[in-house]
Amino acid sequence: MTRSGRLAGAGAVVRRRLLVAVPVLAATSIGMFALGAASPVDPAKQYAGAAAFTASEENLAQIRANWGVDDPLPVQYLRWIGNLVQGDLGWSTSRHEPVASVLSARAGWTLLLIGVALALALVGSLLLGSLAAYRRGGLFDRALRTAAYAVQSMPVFWLGLAAIAVFALALGWFPAGGLTDVTATSTSWADVAHHLILPVGVLAVSQAPWFVLFVRDAVAESMRDDHVLAARARGLPGRTVLFGHALRTALLPFLTLVGTHLPELVGGAVLVETVFSLPGLGAVTVAAALGSDFPLLAAITLVTTAVVLAANLTTDLAYAAADPRVRLDG
Amino acid sequence: MADLATRPPLLHLARSRLRLRPGQTGVVIAGLVLLVAVVGSLLAPLVWPLDQSAVALDQTRLAPSWTHLAGTDDLGRDVAHRAVYGLRVSLLVGAVAALVATVLGGVVGGIAGMLGGRVDRLLMRMVDTIAAMPHLLLGIFIVAMLRPSLGAVIASVGLTHWLSTARIVRSELLSLRTRPFVDAAISGGAGRFRVLTRHLLPHVLPRLALATTLMIPHAVWHETALSFLGLGLPPHLASLGNMINDGQGSLLTGAWWASLAPGAVIVVVTLAIAVLAARWRDRLDPRVRAELHL
Amino acid sequence: MTRIRPTFRRLVASTAAAGMLVLAACSTPTSPDSPAGGATLVVATSDEPDALNPVLNFGVDGAALIFDGLVARDSDNRLVPALATALPTVSPDGRTVTATLRDGVQFHDGATLSAADVAFTYQAVLDPKVDSTLRSDLDMVESVTAPDATTVVFRLRYPYAPFLQRLTLGIVPSKLLSGQDINTTGFNRKPIGTGPYKVESWTPGDRLVLTANERYFGGRPANNRVVVAFVADDNVRAQRMRAGEFDAAELPPKLASGFDSDTAYRVQRVPTADYRGVMLPMGNPVLADPAVRRALNLAVDRAAMVSGILGGAGEPAFGPVPPTSEFADPSTVGTPTADATAASALLDAAGWKPGSGGVRAKDGRPARFTLMYPATDTLRKDLALAVTADAKKIGIEVTPAGLTWDAIDPRMKSDALLMGYGTPYDPDFVSYKLFSSQFAGQGYFNPGSYRSEVTDRALQEGRDQIDPALRKAAYAQFQKQLATDVPWLFLTYLRHTYVLKSSVQGTAPRVEAHEHGVANSIWWNINTWTRS
Repeated sequence: MTRSGRLAGAGAVVRRRLLVAVPVLAATSIGMFALGAASPVDPAKQYAGAAAFTASEENLAQIRANWGVDDPLPVQYLRWIGNLVQGDLGWSTSRHEPVASVLSARAGWTLLLIGVALALALVGSLLLGSLAAYRRGGLFDRALRTAAYAVQSMPVFWLGLAAIAVFALALGWFPAGGLTDVTATSTSWADVAHHLILPVGVLAVSQAPWFVLFVRDAVAESMRDDHVLAARARGLPGRTVLFGHALRTALLPFLTLVGTHLPELVGGAVLVETVFSLPGLGAVTVAAALGSDFPLLAAITLVTTAVVLAANLTTDLAYAAADPRVRLDG
Repeated sequence: MADLATRPPLLHLARSRLRLRPGQTGVVIAGLVLLVAVVGSLLAPLVWPLDQSAVALDQTRLAPSWTHLAGTDDLGRDVAHRAVYGLRVSLLVGAVAALVATVLGGVVGGIAGMLGGRVDRLLMRMVDTIAAMPHLLLGIFIVAMLRPSLGAVIASVGLTHWLSTARIVRSELLSLRTRPFVDAAISGGAGRFRVLTRHLLPHVLPRLALATTLMIPHAVWHETALSFLGLGLPPHLASLGNMINDGQGSLLTGAWWASLAPGAVIVVVTLAIAVLAARWRDRLDPRVRAELHL
Repeated sequence: MTRIRPTFRRLVASTAAAGMLVLAACSTPTSPDSPAGGATLVVATSDEPDALNPVLNFGVDGAALIFDGLVARDSDNRLVPALATALPTVSPDGRTVTATLRDGVQFHDGATLSAADVAFTYQAVLDPKVDSTLRSDLDMVESVTAPDATTVVFRLRYPYAPFLQRLTLGIVPSKLLSGQDINTTGFNRKPIGTGPYKVESWTPGDRLVLTANERYFGGRPANNRVVVAFVADDNVRAQRMRAGEFDAAELPPKLASGFDSDTAYRVQRVPTADYRGVMLPMGNPVLADPAVRRALNLAVDRAAMVSGILGGAGEPAFGPVPPTSEFADPSTVGTPTADATAASALLDAAGWKPGSGGVRAKDGRPARFTLMYPATDTLRKDLALAVTADAKKIGIEVTPAGLTWDAIDPRMKSDALLMGYGTPYDPDFVSYKLFSSQFAGQGYFNPGSYRSEVTDRALQEGRDQIDPALRKAAYAQFQKQLATDVPWLFLTYLRHTYVLKSSVQGTAPRVEAHEHGVANSIWWNINTWTRS
């Protein structure tokens, strides 16, 4: 197959994936909308918060009428879809601002958290996993696997609280939460980095076991591949064989699987953000869920899903481009 | 891989116990831990009944002692006693949610794997798309809509964890369909249903059992995470998530024992399941392993 | 792999340490740049306002740092003039209230305050198109007019004795808001007021940064900046307080007590009008019997709740008028400890005989009821469990149920509910709606449909009479009737607990309301705080 032929194939793959993804996303949005409408939560009382207890019934009824939440369900849905098509994500009833501005103010921090934690987990697990695979069953391998299982059995928010207790309170090395120093006048990157070390570290450590175990197995397997055995037989140094040959073979299938792990990472980020009081999407998601703020909830779910799908597609295409033997089944 | 498929897991475990090698003591210990956990939480209401709403305001935050093995919490309740009931709830949530997920995943994966072709492709693309939705977010959404309760927590775990089961069942069926013995059965005139029940199901079941078992720790984490976010079970009920949540504040004021017992129970039980599963994982192909988040 | 037996603690430490090593390279210590000539004070709270607009219920009972009302409250909660030159005057018929504005007050943007701004603010609250939850508090207002630039005239539908208390509402500039949709305007995020602080920035979910208003009519604030950090989780807030990030933070009593022994901090337990109690619905066949309600009232151990649940930060409650109020009637105060013997005797006399399983019964009806509490509220959960335990001792079986408000709402007519309310400003507030029969069954007002002619008359009298002595007599009558009827099981008044750095000087705690937050907490006068 020629290079251009392969690229054309990629176009078809993108089209075919969109053909499935769009209806599924649309169906999901309808499902979420219906669930949201069927839920017994009164958005006006949620909006009023504590004031709901001192505001009169007519007062709340007037607010409901102002919002049009008493309109029939299909009318509400069509209104929402219509606005969506025009780029208007709607009004967040729990945040009292446009959904788009909630997302734009917060999504960046969540992406940063996830991105850095992912990079860290990848680098760390490739390194540690390969080393463990080199002496399979050795002391390091067993210690690493035990640690991985142990970390895997701990809730991530627990790791976060422990990290705060040790590094912020006992040792005082890092701030216990927030994005910048509470008294800082502007957002300086050094300050943000200092604040993000603990949350990023915790998220990376909590997600690392899955990566470490996978790398360890994949590398261990490729250590038995012919070309790796041949390289060993040629007397190449262990480090060259491990990182130059074995890891390289294991790397590509690993990278494509990373995409499937992204949703897990998003869930972890929600919890980490809550523990470290970071102004990302995590806290607003929970608030939106409790306040049955459908427009915000739908936007967050649909946007994250779209991002994950796009990431999956990119890794698959990159894989196919890098390895001609791989056939993309759409 | 083939020998695992033909051997039921329990028998396998029993056999490995008979010829103990040093590396297998862990498996035996893990098995015993699980056995104690399951039997203990089943028998608890008969042996050690708990009044879920009882408090003793004159015995708050007592350190561990012989009368209170794991101390008492902010409301003077015995931590060890409640941890046993917390485990009971967690295992219940885990087992029922795993069952829901297994049935759902088994049906979708089964249809895809048996029919193959276009239906398979469509179903699997759908599964991929749903898998791209962060399942904690989806779980939060489900709980928020159904209102926090035992049923809602079970639904939020069960309805978000069936995808891997569906993929495993489907790929297993697809690979089995090409095996000679299946061909032989079909050419021997067996109907599709008969092939499924007589020949394919016995091969898929062990894998399905493994996936179900592995979902239990997931369910436990899920329950604790939801409780942490304030979306879990009613807070006066003893569940591991509620207890850890209550215990967090005590941690800061020096009563570390309030969260120790429930935390230790989570780690020990999930670790035991992981150790047992690790015996199987070496025989699984990497894709399935990744699918199971092993 | 089983040979290694990591303890949880060691594991956490080692895994986190591993992460640390990787990250140590990118760590850079930073020093906050604080402006010269004045301190920056940082306070932390859990409740973040939805919009920084008084019309939409921000800073209604306090000047809220950013805004000022016509009147304000001093440290004894007495009304003092703020934007008005003196306390507004009330006409003899009680239906016209006139306020004269201070001269030369400027908004943060330099515009001069005029009576039109005041009229606009109140008209906006009354406008049905505005999603304001305050409207029902201002039901009595017929019109607000500004006959000239410094005079505001309120015309009332009926005389309302505590009307001046409603004039603490912050005033917004009409020029910036007229013609706009107040529900969605950008003003709600970056408001302009007259108060001691200007809004520099608001990062929702993180912090609100305020800078000193040099032109504040009450004098320039002693501090250049105030940062309000929003940290929803109690434990996280306590940890960050411990890490030294905040000058002051509100914490639950138990977490605050952890700071008691540390001389670097000071714990302030501020008396409040914030009570917790059990609403006993008349629609419940067991609770409809006054004997059961009175027995419960005797059986609850309020002293144990204060010491065991509140860590001492509270007082036993026996009615909705706080002991700090001049309207409180001392004759309605009972004993703080439980009297199970007297309670049992009451039940015996009323025909509730001990039955099977330790549960009393009368005419075949067991003494059972459900006690609902909002699931997210730990304090109410704890109190509900304490009531359950106390009731059990006298043979009444209570089933606690942790629910969300939407699940609670439809059941309030027949199931008991742990509620919380209370304002120190006037006994008419809240109580009028909670206990008068005209509000029976209306939402959260009197959901248990308590009806008493005596109570109705007393509440109406308290609202209609201007003479303080007559009002006091009316509210004494009201409290006595509640103590007889027991429509609520009043449990405790809370003390709101704050942890402050010892170096912070100038706090003047005042009796706080149930609702408090950015505006109305111990930092209500933060513009005069100093650091030693």
